[in-house]
Amino acid sequence: MDERAHSRAGGDRKLMASRSARRASAFVEKSIHSLLETADYAARAERRAESRGLLQRLDPRSKLVGILLLIFAVVFSRALWPIALVFAAAVALALGSGIRLRAVAVSIWIPALLFTGAIALPSVFVVEHGGRSAAFLVSRSLTCATLSALLVFSTPWPALLKALRALRVPAIAVAMLGMTYRYLFSILDIARDMMESRRSRTVGALSGAEQRRIAAASAGVLLSRSVQLSREVHLAMLSRGYRGEAFTLEERRMRPRDWTSLALFAGFAALVTGFGR
Amino acid sequence: MSATAAVFELQQVRYRYQELTALDGIDLRIEQGSRNVLLGANGSGKSTLLRILDALYFPSSGSVRFHGRELTPKLFESDENAFDFRRRVGLVFQSPDVQLFNPTVFDEIAFGPLQLRWEREQILSRVNTVLDRFEIAHLRDRPPHRLSGGEKKRVAIASVLVLDPEVLLLDEPTAALDPRSESQIINLLASLGDGRRTVVIATHDLNLAVDIGDRCVLLERGRVAAEGDPREIVRDTELLGRVNLIHEHLHRHASGLVHSHPHRHPHEH
Amino acid sequence: MHIPDGYLSPSTCAAMYGVSTPFWYGALQRMKRTLHTQTTPLLAVFSALSFIVMMFNLPLPGGTTGHAVGVSIAAIVLGPAGAILSISMALVIQALLFGDGGITAIGANCFNMAIAGALVAYAAYRLIAGRAALTSRRRVIAAGVAGYLAINVSALLAAIEFGIQPMLFHDAAGAPLYAPYPLHIAIPAMMIGHLTIAGVAEMVLTAGVLAYLQKADPGLLEGTAPGAAPSGAESIDPGWRRTRPLWITLGVLLALTPVGIVAAGSAWGEWSPADFSNAASRRQIARASGSVAPPVAAPSGLRRLADFWTSPMPRYSAPFLRSPAFGYLLSAMAGTGVIILSCVLFSWMSGRTRARAATGS
Repeated sequence: MDERAHSRAGGDRKLMASRSARRASAFVEKSIHSLLETADYAARAERRAESRGLLQRLDPRSKLVGILLLIFAVVFSRALWPIALVFAAAVALALGSGIRLRAVAVSIWIPALLFTGAIALPSVFVVEHGGRSAAFLVSRSLTCATLSALLVFSTPWPALLKALRALRVPAIAVAMLGMTYRYLFSILDIARDMMESRRSRTVGALSGAEQRRIAAASAGVLLSRSVQLSREVHLAMLSRGYRGEAFTLEERRMRPRDWTSLALFAGFAALVTGFGR
Repeated sequence: MSATAAVFELQQVRYRYQELTALDGIDLRIEQGSRNVLLGANGSGKSTLLRILDALYFPSSGSVRFHGRELTPKLFESDENAFDFRRRVGLVFQSPDVQLFNPTVFDEIAFGPLQLRWEREQILSRVNTVLDRFEIAHLRDRPPHRLSGGEKKRVAIASVLVLDPEVLLLDEPTAALDPRSESQIINLLASLGDGRRTVVIATHDLNLAVDIGDRCVLLERGRVAAEGDPREIVRDTELLGRVNLIHEHLHRHASGLVHSHPHRHPHEH
Repeated sequence: MHIPDGYLSPSTCAAMYGVSTPFWYGALQRMKRTLHTQTTPLLAVFSALSFIVMMFNLPLPGGTTGHAVGVSIAAIVLGPAGAILSISMALVIQALLFGDGGITAIGANCFNMAIAGALVAYAAYRLIAGRAALTSRRRVIAAGVAGYLAINVSALLAAIEFGIQPMLFHDAAGAPLYAPYPLHIAIPAMMIGHLTIAGVAEMVLTAGVLAYLQKADPGLLEGTAPGAAPSGAESIDPGWRRTRPLWITLGVLLALTPVGIVAAGSAWGEWSPADFSNAASRRQIARASGSVAPPVAAPSGLRRLADFWTSPMPRYSAPFLRSPAFGYLLSAMAGTGVIILSCVLFSWMSGRTRARAATGS
């Protein structure tokens, strides 16, 4: 998957070099780029989740609940320094789990800073206590984004979705989310193949209206094929005994160290909430 | 016909899909422990026939009997009947995108047993046995988009065989595989027919018909064009040409070869 | 429009989860009753599709590009219940696995985009398309308008959620704890981007896909076009009658919003709109924040930003919005009004259609 993504990305760059090709179908190029980025992000997150580290060794349920508690603590805090404390703890956890800070910076911190920064900056001038308010907005969103990145970078995604059962999310919702995750990549591949064949057939510049028509038709083809795919999948499910009810195999018991880590998370979150009152 | 018991008996089965007639009066008897190959070009109705056998589609007219009992939508309204049939008959779909709908390999194999409400311990031990037997234990937590074509096929077959069905239906099991995975899958399929399990394979692959089948049913536009020993059918180049399974130029060009090494027909019409 | 963590207070987040839950539950029950075993594969594949379509860079008139949510075409093909669930799941996956949108804000994001978006899009489409033929031009226009309205209502809801934060939540010193801008800034700042870019993107996608389906796969449009198509084809829309409880719930909730404003009224006293327009206090703020020069323009180049928020400067706000109480009431009423009005119109029209069908004309 990785290698394929990279070789395709290489092909992209070559084609992008030809300016006429890029102008011809900006929609197609940009969309292929977004699709590749997504596939790449997923592949990297999956690889990191398989490596060994502090967080990777924990049960997904205690990790999910623990990190959610920390996110709540950050959102509840009415002071800045407890938020900073959680941020520092998140950075320490990342380091202990072999998650490189550069990766977090590139995929989480810089986008979050640019995005929230652009929104928060004007408040410094137009809102009373705007500076402090901007600091709240930026630190909170940055810390929460880092915490959820820790979760995603240290847990295989199917396991993370299954851990939602621990939060009493209904089995059918967990089953559907698992299936959504599974078909994300199928439809991504269909979309990418469609875009690439569209690119190879496109010669010369296209007008805006023509590009819009192509974009809508591409989405339309995907939609038709998705409905068709869902009908086939339905038959495959029936064939294996599906009667409309979702079952999940309950996960193994929580080990003492999973309870311990959950207690540590909860204790720290309670502490931060206390400080932040 | 013979002393062996019939698993499936089809009488004048017709299946219409919107305006299209996919099956047009099929009479067929499938015997216990036999290995049948439904041979036909694309659009000959072989996939539809497999879905009729798996009670996913029900005939527009005519009847399908499984061990003497007619398969009707009404029969499948009861959980008990549905579970009994689903445990005894399994279908492997052609496309891995359709067959593998779970987020991980483990979930995929456990899906059937979970639906049939097996006990937790029974599921765990059976799934682990199957993972080992199909040599896919190392793929246990992988999502399907990170499997190769051959791995996907092995997981697909394992996900159906986990229930140990007495009838195994396969739709184009060797389509879109590289030669090495293809021969692995053929070996796997050949090892499954131990005389106890009934196998029905839909394919346009003449090699597969000869390697695996002990009986061949040739389909043409929703009808049975011929049936009999696969070795004899693949020798009938005129017939195969007529049903679009080999090219005209190919059989003239290589008429001597067709007997021992029938050519695959890679194109779709 | 994906609200990140930290922009909304915990109570707002909890309230939005609370408001969304009955819609999720109701929509799932509707789907299960009509689609039985098909529910899971259809919704799962469709939400994966929505996720992918959200990544498309749609070329818009005027040379910009934008991202659509895809909720409107989902509402047209699946009906409102299916759209609510499939778009919600796409949003959950985005928040949980891809970090797009906050985990605490999932309730709010789903309510704004999936629930309100689907209901508004569905109502507008049915209302405008009427009983026009499946392949008629009128359906394309109906789809476009539905898409445009749905996204703008979603954006308005998000803006209101932002705008009430500084009224209700600040620290001991008075600094806003969450989204800092009051309604008369939040609403225009959010709406400009959505009226000009994101709404147009959704319009282009919805109308374009509908036009494509009219030619290539008209069967998919039959579910939400009763009276227009010959029956017999399988419908995947549970239909208006069955989704009525969803509508009534939404109507009641929105009717209650002004009550919420009155209840929260005491908070207004602490917040003075004069502070930031007062030159003296602004100088004071500037001094306190180390005399940072005012930004010339918002940093550009971040594609999400264009869809989300256009430079939140007060000069954009309409004068009548400058009174915060009036602004909030007005915006809440406008949002409520648009939805309730379309509900009433729609109910009236669908009643008329049924009456006509019953008399056999």
